[in-house]
Amino acid sequence: MPLSPQVRAALVRIVSDRWVRAASAQLETFARDALPTARSIPGIVVLPGTRDEVIRIIRLLAHHEVPFVARGAGTGLSGGALANNDAVLIALTRLNRILEVDPQNRLAVVEPGVVNARLSEAVAEFGLLYAPDPSSQTACTLGGNVAENAGGPHCLKYGVTSNHVLELEVVLPDGSVVTLGSRSGEPWGPDLVGLFVGSEGMFGIATRITVRLLPTPPSIRTLLADFDDLTTAGRAVSAIIASGIVPAALEMMDQVCIEVVEASIYAAGYPIDAAAVLLVELDGATDDQVAAEGAAIEVLLMRHGARSVRAASDAAERARLWQGRKKAFGALGRMSPDLVVQDAVVPRSALPEVLDSIRAIASHHGLRVGNVFHAGDGNLHPNIGFDRENPDEFERVEQASAAIMQVCIAAGGTITGEHGVGVDKRRYMTDVFDADTLDGMARLRQAFDVAGIANPGKVIPTHACREWTQGAGRHV
Amino acid sequence: MTAQLAGLAPCTHCGFCLQSCPTFLVTGDEADGPRGRIELMREFTAGRIPADANGLRYHLDRCLGCRACETACPSGVEYGSALEEVRATLNADSLPITSRIVNYVMQDGGMQRVTFAGARVARAVARHLAGPSSLGFAWGMLDATHATTNKHAAHTTASVQEPRVRVALFTGCIMSGLFSHVHEATARVLRANGVQLMAVPGQRCCGALHAHSGQHADAVTLARANVAAFAQIPEDVYVVANSAGCGALLKEYPRLLSGDPVEEDAMALAERTCDVSEILVELGPTVGGPIPLRMAYDPPCHLQHAQRVTDPPLRILESIPELELVPHADAHLCCGSAGSYSLVEPELSRSILDRKVSTLAAANVDVITTGNPGCIMQIGAGLRAVGDDTPVVHPVELLDRSYAAAGYYGSQRSSTP
Repeated sequence: MPLSPQVRAALVRIVSDRWVRAASAQLETFARDALPTARSIPGIVVLPGTRDEVIRIIRLLAHHEVPFVARGAGTGLSGGALANNDAVLIALTRLNRILEVDPQNRLAVVEPGVVNARLSEAVAEFGLLYAPDPSSQTACTLGGNVAENAGGPHCLKYGVTSNHVLELEVVLPDGSVVTLGSRSGEPWGPDLVGLFVGSEGMFGIATRITVRLLPTPPSIRTLLADFDDLTTAGRAVSAIIASGIVPAALEMMDQVCIEVVEASIYAAGYPIDAAAVLLVELDGATDDQVAAEGAAIEVLLMRHGARSVRAASDAAERARLWQGRKKAFGALGRMSPDLVVQDAVVPRSALPEVLDSIRAIASHHGLRVGNVFHAGDGNLHPNIGFDRENPDEFERVEQASAAIMQVCIAAGGTITGEHGVGVDKRRYMTDVFDADTLDGMARLRQAFDVAGIANPGKVIPTHACREWTQGAGRHV
Repeated sequence: MTAQLAGLAPCTHCGFCLQSCPTFLVTGDEADGPRGRIELMREFTAGRIPADANGLRYHLDRCLGCRACETACPSGVEYGSALEEVRATLNADSLPITSRIVNYVMQDGGMQRVTFAGARVARAVARHLAGPSSLGFAWGMLDATHATTNKHAAHTTASVQEPRVRVALFTGCIMSGLFSHVHEATARVLRANGVQLMAVPGQRCCGALHAHSGQHADAVTLARANVAAFAQIPEDVYVVANSAGCGALLKEYPRLLSGDPVEEDAMALAERTCDVSEILVELGPTVGGPIPLRMAYDPPCHLQHAQRVTDPPLRILESIPELELVPHADAHLCCGSAGSYSLVEPELSRSILDRKVSTLAAANVDVITTGNPGCIMQIGAGLRAVGDDTPVVHPVELLDRSYAAAGYYGSQRSSTP
């Protein structure tokens, strides 16, 4: 059902004409996030400038039972921020204030539209940082990070978003405002913050986010190892993990990614003739400790088939090595006009075999795949290139994505590590969860959102879906 | 699809450009960011959005054309050239009247002389009329074109013994009309570095304003005239621009004149064109006397993003003894000038400028420097609007002052900034 003129007029009254987007071309620009295989034109877009406006918007929509979707920077990779034409898209980019930095207690309070990297920049003067560092950190918002429980290279050692959120002020889908968790970090009762982080916009909108800050490690060493083949690099990853040393980050890129990064303005100096590179970062309290661990890892890498290993000589080179890794997804635009980044997790010991299977699937479907991923925690990101104007190729991408998911599930893994389920992965949910579990998820969702208006149609396959008929009988 | 629009194809919608976009940072609106505008351009050229679609032109016109998104883009999307092409299609017969007037004046030699002569007369009272209102802002822009450093024009015709290189200065429209003092400083500084200057008659406005606003035919006419003028001089003569906007377009003439009979001459001109900072770094430059001031350098977009010249201006400023370079936040962001943008989109332009002015004020400097006339006027007017009289000068003016202090020009008077 399209939005009523009454609701439209009420939205204008809340945020003023200036912050409502309803023209056809404007809506077009909000039809996608960074997932190229899905698009949907929202009914209307509002850009609230304050927390109070968000609350008033949700109360209005709850009253009229109008669905809504929250959107940050639109860098999501699972279509989580897409809204249908019966829904209101609430863009939170203007809520971008850092409300408080408390260096003594090592925490910050931010609005959801604050860009991830801006927070670390703002607290650097206190010798602090915000640890979760998704590759899109120069663009993505902390509200989006909370919704997706975002990860990033350094989450290998420091944990994902949910490990760093202390307290949340949330507007629930019925318009009530609640506080989850506490800033002292001492949880009481059930872990409601843990429940909300990663709920992909289904439980409401976080309007204030209190995050933990960590001291910048005094000593950091970044190693770059290159390999003649991908499988050998995969085995070296397993060897590092088995050694007991926990690197701050352990990332892998294959030749396709190396090539496109080196052709870009983020060229990092990766050897372009290598089949794969590993980026290993070690950090710690003292130079001695980090140097000793670095030396041990270097020996390990050479013993497991690295052609060469070198360490970043200074902070500038280290930054360059990381920029190359983090901008790889964007740089892959050089490979083909469109790009699906898949996201799956496998046991680290299975990495070499799964990488082989992905290569075989890509070649079977006549597609080019670039791998750039968090090897240390077995979180794969095969990037499949295609042209969306070519329907046949598009179909093959969908088939290859599904085949890759099946391989990962068969290896004991799961369908997402950090990009979320959104609309893209809903179809695989029944492959990893049984009907009872999905039913439980649906009931939990309902506990937060009785009317079912917060980001409808995402994550949980509904009983209307063909894939999930068995569990539907008990679902309301 | 044309070559220009094919330059959009590598966009993967990753959004890494968003935080580099001055308009997105002000409004937070996807349609005011590079990724949204790319989406609009793609859908329009694919015929899925009609030319009169509500919001299409509005958001494309609100783009500054600063091209900061290009230097943030990992996949090398060629945004600027695509925007020019789409604007040329959309604006074919409906350009805002302000742009039309500005572009007409720059194109017509007679009008240009009369306008700038009038502006120079009015400049005498500009300081008293500058202020925060729209009119006061315009007066502030004019006041910012006052020479604040060496006012002497001596030695500009003196010949150099045994020149190291030969250079022809691209004179441009507004640079000769309102910034002749920068041209004179450029000439003195180049001579002090052993450069012989050659006069090149027949030059016209570079055509950047026309190209950026989508007046393709006018831009081509001007480009052809300049290509012809510089084709007359020997091949070993460098063409030096001291306006970032002009230099950027001269370097892009081969694209503008692609398929044109003079395309080869355009390539020859582009290849020998350099910014004044590039040639000075190449030459050394000669070290002058001390200037004990705190200085902020604000890089022009058409130097850092369009020409990708980032280091040379810093190198020449660092070469000045006792001049302290004070960093300011978000220096890489546009000041909101962008050709005639500040006149056509005053509200958004001023919001962007307000951020620039507050970061510069926080740096607490004695002098601000930037190598583009539009930026000098915009930042100058923005400061005057808040009652701040910190001078905004071209980097060669500081070098010129440093050389004067060292006595390279003989006994000269100089005013302090």
